[in-house]
Amino acid sequence: MTPDAIPQTGGYMVAAYIVAAVILLGYTVVLWRRGSAKLKS
Amino acid sequence: MTLVQRGRWITAIALLLLGGIYVRAIVYTPEERLQGLAQKIYYVHVPSAWSAMLAMGMVGLASILFLLLKDPRYDRFASASAEVGTAFSLVMLTTGPLWARPIWGTWWTWDARLTLTLMMFFMFIGYQVLRGAVADPGLRARYAAVVGICGLVLLPFIHLSVYLFRTLHPMPIVLKPSAPSAPPAMVITLLSSFAVFTLLYVGFVVQRYAIGERTHDA
Amino acid sequence: MGDLVRHAWLVARKDLHLEFRSRTAITSALVFTALVLVVFEHGRDPTAVSTIDLAPSILWVTFSFAGMLTLNRAFNAELENQALDGLLLAPISRTSLFLGKLVANLAFVAVVQVTGLLLFTLFFNVPVWTVWAPLVTVMILATTGFIAVGTLFSAMVVRTRFAELMLPVLLLPFLLPPLIAAVEVTAKLFAGRPLSEVAGWYRLLAAYDVAFVSLATLLFPATVTE
Repeated sequence: MTPDAIPQTGGYMVAAYIVAAVILLGYTVVLWRRGSAKLKS
Repeated sequence: MTLVQRGRWITAIALLLLGGIYVRAIVYTPEERLQGLAQKIYYVHVPSAWSAMLAMGMVGLASILFLLLKDPRYDRFASASAEVGTAFSLVMLTTGPLWARPIWGTWWTWDARLTLTLMMFFMFIGYQVLRGAVADPGLRARYAAVVGICGLVLLPFIHLSVYLFRTLHPMPIVLKPSAPSAPPAMVITLLSSFAVFTLLYVGFVVQRYAIGERTHDA
Repeated sequence: MGDLVRHAWLVARKDLHLEFRSRTAITSALVFTALVLVVFEHGRDPTAVSTIDLAPSILWVTFSFAGMLTLNRAFNAELENQALDGLLLAPISRTSLFLGKLVANLAFVAVVQVTGLLLFTLFFNVPVWTVWAPLVTVMILATTGFIAVGTLFSAMVVRTRFAELMLPVLLLPFLLPPLIAAVEVTAKLFAGRPLSEVAGWYRLLAAYDVAFVSLATLLFPATVTE
């Protein structure tokens, strides 16, 4: 059988961490801007 | 300090801490032998799922309180929590398949967890679509509360049914995922991440609630 | 208690009368059922996939679509004639109103499902008659659950902007547990498995029904309170 090598799955980790960050930061920006918008009369 | 500002502060701190979690998870937490680096997705995926569930639970709770006490603040809070929950669900739904692909060999599978996450996402979306489609605020609040409560009661049934289904139809597993609770370093990273994601939930909800309050358009 | 049942029955009877006079909803549901069955029959390759494998899914797709159609029609008819407002003024409790609607909806869906099942046994060579009792039981249990939620939701969506789109979107997550259970049970029944293997699913369905019929009855007044 194959030797005990650790699978090279780093790409997925990077992708996931980036996607998560983009979504959370994106939502933060959305909220920030809505919080700064002028009050509706 | 206004409520919006308070929310922003909490969010900012939470995001900073999230950066810390990222560093800790990537650099200072040991790599798991059987799954490789992809296992580290856990530290983001699982806490975001927790935040989404927390959000849904809060929607349900606030909905019950609204129907009982008729206080529009509860409705406003429910609305805020639903939107925040959607964001966390999205994180959950994207990081999940990215973990599943290398580990199970497939992007998606109808197992208990993934199906539940997808249904939760649909519930959040449905809840907000409903809110958007009702003009009268009083009616909107009541309708939303009804859906919110039903959604909350539904969760255990979804989990049960899919779990029951999956125990009878075992999935082929390409790499067998081990429980990440063994080494203490991993546990600490996971638990810290839970705390940070909870704080982030709070920060988001406070901001969103404050925005709803301001615009009177929850 | 007597009033509750009597009034509920009056509401149900009214709906059933209306429907059987015009027969629009039932007809369209039946036609749709037949259509789905024909499509599935011609769509599959008999050498590749055995009927038994597909049968439970086909059956339950048909049943759930029929359910959705029924739900949509039920409250639409009310709203078209402003009849809902009239009903709300009547001296009957909200609970009776809801239960009446629920019974009427269940009756419609039952007619469509029974007919669908008969057509199904005609088109597909599946041994239904040996397991008809547990099969009918699971049909009743699974359908009651999501029709209860559906009746509640349709009362709401009929006043919203995108009513026809809204109902399936809201209802989808609620269909999942009863449908999974129903398909699982049906598959096991057709395969001739002993009932003990599906007891857990029946319990789940029963629990679901108790939970959601009660919840829907409890919440209905909130959707129509002025």
